[in-house]
Amino acid sequence: MSVADTPGRVRDWLIAGSPVLLALALGVFPLVTLFVESIGPGLGGENYAEVLSPLYRGALLYSIGVGVGVTAVCLAVAYPITYWIAHRCPDRYRLVALVAVTLPLWLNYVVLNYAWVWILARGGVVNRILVGSGVLDSSLDLLYNNVSMGIGFVYIYLPYVVLTMYVSMERLDYRLITAARDLGASDYRVFLDIVLPRTLPGAAAATLIVYARIAGAFATPEILGSPGNIMIARLVVQAFRQYTNYGFAAALSFVFLLLVLGSLALGALSPRVRRELRQW
Amino acid sequence: MVRVSRLAERGAGRLPGVVVALTLVFLYTPVLVIGYLSLSPAGQPTIPIDGLSLRWYTAVLTDSRFVRALFTSLGIGIVTAFGGTMLGLAGAYAIVRSPLTRTVRRSIAVVIALPLFVPTVVVAFGIGRASALVGFGYGYLPVVLGHLFWVLPFTTFLIAARYGELDDRLSAAARDLGADNRTVFVTVTVPLLWPALMASVLFAFALSFNEFLITFFLAGSGVTTVPLEIFGKVRIGATAFLNAASVLVIVVSAVAAGVASTLRRPV
Repeated sequence: MSVADTPGRVRDWLIAGSPVLLALALGVFPLVTLFVESIGPGLGGENYAEVLSPLYRGALLYSIGVGVGVTAVCLAVAYPITYWIAHRCPDRYRLVALVAVTLPLWLNYVVLNYAWVWILARGGVVNRILVGSGVLDSSLDLLYNNVSMGIGFVYIYLPYVVLTMYVSMERLDYRLITAARDLGASDYRVFLDIVLPRTLPGAAAATLIVYARIAGAFATPEILGSPGNIMIARLVVQAFRQYTNYGFAAALSFVFLLLVLGSLALGALSPRVRRELRQW
Repeated sequence: MVRVSRLAERGAGRLPGVVVALTLVFLYTPVLVIGYLSLSPAGQPTIPIDGLSLRWYTAVLTDSRFVRALFTSLGIGIVTAFGGTMLGLAGAYAIVRSPLTRTVRRSIAVVIALPLFVPTVVVAFGIGRASALVGFGYGYLPVVLGHLFWVLPFTTFLIAARYGELDDRLSAAARDLGADNRTVFVTVTVPLLWPALMASVLFAFALSFNEFLITFFLAGSGVTTVPLEIFGKVRIGATAFLNAASVLVIVVSAVAAGVASTLRRPV
């Protein structure tokens, strides 16, 4: 047994080796590099002090705030969507509906966010409709503020939230809802007492997956956001592009990474959230 | 009783359906608007457009910068699609089927999943710095490696899901009939995994073709992909040229993802 086993084991290590080597070289090694840069020069910790100074703490908090806010909007929309697809949609249209709401996930987010410029610009679709129908006398400035950036973010990340939520919504037994209705529960009570508690782990998993991607996003704030609102990614990109302040950018990356990993670890404490996270 | 609950359902049930309809409008209006505007003959289209023309598509496809970026993106996408799927197959085998201990297999899964839970900007910045420090620099090779790393969790877990469903007894039967490991793999395992492998190739291609941030950090000055090219132009202003280019990008990725979705349910 062990004689036949040895070459098999060597072969398995070789097979497993190629993807693992790639993941170590491009995942773990760069993080180690960043960590070393963040504490240098001379183990001072000055970079971390700078990251936590009021100016940059503001950028960090703003980024996370945007991440959490946008995620909340996505969840509010994803609840009725996933409920409809899982429990109302006729069976043969379910797959089509699911693909339709998640297809944008595979399209280019730079291009998709650019498309919103044409919707929100002064001569764009919304202003043309509002002015043309006489609701407004002159065009509004809808672009380059928190709202336009928020719309761009919801547009990109809603499909992720829907996909994550859908799994737990599908698992929800519809007979529970019918039973509650038969016993006279209102929609409000059905949602609060049955739907919400049973899908909360899915919502938590979606939040954990999406909020950090939003907080660390670069393209959407650049294309649709206000130039004055600085998010983490822009600070990192600036440091990288201008060949300066690598240590600071590395420290900023690490503080952000720790926040993200910390929240994931908190989520993973609950076995039900862990199960929902596993699909990713 | 049944009728009462049906009535309640009908009254209550409008909201989710309405939200789905509104969301579809929300999701597809920008795409349709860009498609519509790309047909404008004017360089700075106005709404409504004054005439129909394909001249901006001609302009995009004869623009040497854009065409070079398109071929770069397609090339990197194809290499990433096949390379990423092969690595994903190796990773899936290691995680699902290999006789390695449970702890080792779980650690492999965690390491491969890294780009899913480490923010992309941190990953991209880290790879960029590490590449510069090791003397690897910037250019095609770092971009391709970065893309392979980025698609690896998607391809691995997509294939692993299918691998896990395979019936062990099929390969055991083939082995009993005298097939060696290689023959079992080629004639039993690969054909059974085929839909997952095809979906993996297409999804990896779409991911690579659309990838922006890692490329942004690793491309240096020599390499331009389509997303980089479009991002550079978006910041200067919205134009008819960009609209036509955007439609081409959307069509390429929608076709890849659409075909992949028919091979595998999205959930």
